[in-house]
Amino acid sequence: MISLAFDIGGTFTDFVLFDRRADRTWFLKVPSTPKAPEKAVLAGIDEILRKADIELAAVDMVMHATTVATNAIIERKGANVGLVTTEGFRDILIIGRQKRYETYDLYIDKPAPLLKRRHIHEVRERVAYDGTVLKPLDPASVETAIDALCKSAHETVAVSLLHAYANPSHEHEIRSRILQRAPHIAVSISSEVSPKFREYERTNTTVANAYIKPLVDRYVALLQSALSDRGYRHDLFIMQSSGGLVAPDLAREYPIRIVESGPAAGVLMCADVGRQEGFNQVITFDMGGTTAKLGAVDEGKPALVPSFEVDPIRYKKGSGLPINAPALELIEIGAGGGSVARVEQGMIAVGPESAGSEPGPACYGRGGKRATVTDANLVLGYIDPGYFNGGAIKLDRAAAEAAIIEDLAGPLELGVGEAAWGAHLIATKNMEHAMRLVSVERGRDPRRCVLVAFGGAGPLHAARLARLIGIPTVVVPLGAGVGSAVGLLQADPRIDVTVTRVLRLDMSTDDAIAAIYGGLKIQAEQELRHLKAAHQVRWSRYAYMRYAGQGFEIQVDLPDGDISTGYAELAVEAFHESYARKHRWAERGAAVEGVDWVLVATVPAGSHGGLRLEGAVNDSNQARAPVRKAWFPEKGGFTETRVVDRRALSALGSLRGPAIVEDPDCTVVILPGDTVHISSAGNLRIDVSLEERHS
Amino acid sequence: MSTADKIDPVTLTVIWNALMSIAEELGITLRNTAFSEGVREGDDFSTAIFDRNACLVAQGNFSPGHLGSMPAVAKHVLEYFPPKALRPGDSILLNDSFLGSGHFPDTFQVMPVFVDDEMIGMVACSAHQVDMGGAAPGSQQVHGITEAFQEGLRILPVRFVRGGEIQEDILRLVLGNVRMPDKVRGDLLAQHTANMSAATRLEKLFRDYGTDIIDQAYKTFLDRSEQTMRTALAKVPAGKYSFEDYLDDYGPSTDPVKIAVDVTFDGKGTVEVDFSRSSDAVPAAINSYINYTRAYAIFAIKVFCDALQPQNEGNMRPIKVTAREGSFFNPRFPAPSGGRAAVQIRIFDAINGAIAQALPHRAMGAFSHWSNPNIGGIDDRTGRPFVMYDVGLAGYGGRAGRDGVEALSPVMNCSNIPVEVHETNNPVLVHRLELLPDTGGAGRWRGGCGLRKDVELLAARATLSLLGDRHRFAPYGLNGGETGTKAESLLNPDRNAMALGSKEIREISRGDVVSLRLSGAGGYGPPSERDRAAIAEDIVDGYVTLAFAAAKYGYRA
Repeated sequence: MISLAFDIGGTFTDFVLFDRRADRTWFLKVPSTPKAPEKAVLAGIDEILRKADIELAAVDMVMHATTVATNAIIERKGANVGLVTTEGFRDILIIGRQKRYETYDLYIDKPAPLLKRRHIHEVRERVAYDGTVLKPLDPASVETAIDALCKSAHETVAVSLLHAYANPSHEHEIRSRILQRAPHIAVSISSEVSPKFREYERTNTTVANAYIKPLVDRYVALLQSALSDRGYRHDLFIMQSSGGLVAPDLAREYPIRIVESGPAAGVLMCADVGRQEGFNQVITFDMGGTTAKLGAVDEGKPALVPSFEVDPIRYKKGSGLPINAPALELIEIGAGGGSVARVEQGMIAVGPESAGSEPGPACYGRGGKRATVTDANLVLGYIDPGYFNGGAIKLDRAAAEAAIIEDLAGPLELGVGEAAWGAHLIATKNMEHAMRLVSVERGRDPRRCVLVAFGGAGPLHAARLARLIGIPTVVVPLGAGVGSAVGLLQADPRIDVTVTRVLRLDMSTDDAIAAIYGGLKIQAEQELRHLKAAHQVRWSRYAYMRYAGQGFEIQVDLPDGDISTGYAELAVEAFHESYARKHRWAERGAAVEGVDWVLVATVPAGSHGGLRLEGAVNDSNQARAPVRKAWFPEKGGFTETRVVDRRALSALGSLRGPAIVEDPDCTVVILPGDTVHISSAGNLRIDVSLEERHS
Repeated sequence: MSTADKIDPVTLTVIWNALMSIAEELGITLRNTAFSEGVREGDDFSTAIFDRNACLVAQGNFSPGHLGSMPAVAKHVLEYFPPKALRPGDSILLNDSFLGSGHFPDTFQVMPVFVDDEMIGMVACSAHQVDMGGAAPGSQQVHGITEAFQEGLRILPVRFVRGGEIQEDILRLVLGNVRMPDKVRGDLLAQHTANMSAATRLEKLFRDYGTDIIDQAYKTFLDRSEQTMRTALAKVPAGKYSFEDYLDDYGPSTDPVKIAVDVTFDGKGTVEVDFSRSSDAVPAAINSYINYTRAYAIFAIKVFCDALQPQNEGNMRPIKVTAREGSFFNPRFPAPSGGRAAVQIRIFDAINGAIAQALPHRAMGAFSHWSNPNIGGIDDRTGRPFVMYDVGLAGYGGRAGRDGVEALSPVMNCSNIPVEVHETNNPVLVHRLELLPDTGGAGRWRGGCGLRKDVELLAARATLSLLGDRHRFAPYGLNGGETGTKAESLLNPDRNAMALGSKEIREISRGDVVSLRLSGAGGYGPPSERDRAAIAEDIVDGYVTLAFAAAKYGYRA
């Protein structure tokens, strides 16, 4: 079995080629080509296959994570989309949920919707919350709406009617009528894209799906045909936000499911690393140039959320467009290597503004003048100016110091070291806040977790972060720099189908639950037909539940097996347990409601645990100094610090901090009191001393 | 670590960020565990952290009305329970209009926090309960209420939790007086749970850094916040700026209520906001207790001078808010006040109108007035009581450089409640929820549109209590911008429509449709200066009709 995975990121496109029989792995990183992402992909594929001397025809599985869908939304470069909705509710999308994301800022604007009011058309119909048709669909109003759609030359249309999740028949009728009259129009209907209640979120999800559909469709088709021209004979699998792979047909129909494609793959990699190291509970930590992303793996399974926001402003909740699609739980904050550090009210503020890669941190010497986290890390001696990204970028330490002095040390009357340390610590503290939300606040005990760190800057901040939050072990996997591509290799094809049905659970609801899951199974089986490899399907169920009268639901795994007498009671019991875990109390005896019901079909295919990553992405092989001065407050500031190449570490056994371990992809900082070694699985593993106090 | 007299900036930043995150997480926990629509969907709640002397040091970014009331609440709690009377595990509950945020539905819980038996501060949260008893479901009836005792259960500070044990006697007393005991119970417990998690983190912060360092940090934040506010206030040209406007009435067939404000900047860093020239307190439940008046006056000043700085007692110091005792904006107990939420938007509008004279490029046209109706009765489907608490939110006024935002929460910051959620939980059917064309005030930058929501009652009978305004006095425009249209409330718009007062209370029955049409917001700048292309776009999008554009802008297609 030979697998090829690639992940398109903002700066680089990463590749991993894995030959299971030969037990060999190859990596590659090439610059991304945002205007035509397939260019970098095809060039990279040619290059990595050449390196490995393997023909594409011999590859059994190709897996892909992409930002094509996200970028189309963020840059508002999707298609000219129209919307059909229930009469009286034309403005659902424009009204939104109406809360300001900044309480005291009355000059803000709402996130720009993906279409204008002129492109929203009403039809006469009405369905009640329980699916009863209160007003039949008026065909004349449908014809009028289609006339208007045709006049505006939409190539893609969303249909989102009130309560369509409870009865989709009107949406189906409208779709077939549109397709009869205008077969070239791509139609997305809310009862299929997002069959859940809360009309704004469902409508926005459906419109976003329609908005990116033509673009993703063309892109995937192009990639498919280019691969087949090069001799590839199997399916191209695409990563969904849920961490499951999907066949290209489904990605083209429901592109909204692949919006968080790349980050999801990174979490899967962490789950696999957790397994190798024997941890059930993993906190994932990916820090790049602009943002840090934190996620979680529970009982070996990546945590899912039912919705997320695209394109938020300053990472504020409520400032982006809400998308109802299962996604791996990730908190993203504006803390990356490029985050700008400055003084506000006599205190240090870091991010969310980023210098990006252009002009970049001051030390890049590309015209950036403002102090960034990377500049601070360079001044602190954590980064070797001659060995950043394997030596591919030479850093200017003097420029970094000048920026730190100008922006921080001067105004605060601090030494340059103290000021740089301040920026490093505040960036880490910002991530600590986010990590607290992911861990303690969601009932995950840090003392029982492992922190898996990846991304260009993650391993540098990881040990400090772990110490602040109380996580005893940090793991930096091999290939941390191409983490998401590695994660793709761990993924299984997966289908999630869902429906909203608010049900108060008691002994009489067993049949209703059985009926809901009967319907979902039919739907899932239809989608499974798109997966050629669909043998050995594994089924699992979960639901979003709450105490009757509450408005927010929690995710509850439901028992497998037949749904028969007593099932509702088991579901209620599972709810109480989950609720108690999350909120530290539960009210047994209170009435419980199920709201959203989810069925998951997984087709095992990933190369779980089979991977041995050796070698490196970029490597200049240059000899480097064995010690340099680096800043550790525990040692009173700058102190002579040992520097070790990661490949030399296993020979040393275990090493005690302060120390710096260098990998071509990333730098790992080991704090005083911590020890580091290479685990039997080949990962770098830090034992964090939680006794050491910070200041 | 530095000595106590000068704290280093890194430690200072770390402590500050920790406080902000504790206050914010307290709110997130409360939102996710609450039962009432107002809290969980409307974000009608707030959180705060105090030092041991009840001085406000940090707040979560939630409802400003509760936020601004918080400083007074904690001080009142210490008057009833001096620190030596408090023990670890205690928590104090109150909802008094005068001590709290001006009406009974807002319950506050204030929890002292201890390190080794020494009280080091307090955490607090407030939440808008779905009902606190009294004359009407939702406890917000305006008309026909002449004293607070008709408005429901009044709770002066009581020790609701003692040594970690919830006092079931007190809980029973409360729940026996409210219409939706399950929801109120759930929210009271949610408030307690949320406070507990915040108290644990605050205690840890003190253990990590020590009381001396944290006291020093508090002092530094408060002083710097004060200084930042003073610097901002000093930039406003000195002078006394006055503005007057009117509330429609305080119930059917009553007189308008005068809202008059004098805002005086001294040019050196302080401001005084005085509402004394306003009407006397009225015999209806809409009076604005001084805590509430102060909350929104401070909010307005912050918006103009210092929007993004987190609120604490330091930046409130240079702002003095006054109103004649016995006036509408500083009534004496037992003046009724359940519907005072109708007023907050007008406190802002009045100050905005005054400040427009000093800072013409910062001010905006008046908001579309929001509406906060309640429909309550028995749900025939379940036999259980229901209260449909709703918020209608429409456009912002035009501002220098941009049109008013459409349909965004003004002043107080809450979310709407989805139609599909209302219809699932309550016996109602929503017929329409849409923007109203030709309602935004014309101007170089036009005001946002009004909003229409039509709701049909599906149960046999219910009580409707409306809480709106701007039926008689349109939202003003600025600098030559025109007013928005007035609001209307109709019963059964499609069959013998009957006009309702903005604060009407009446029984309605199955099949009745309540149609609320909110006012349009005010415009900014002369309509003659509006960009022709912008007018054309508005017509295509249906925000204005061609006829309106012709009449107001002389526009021809």
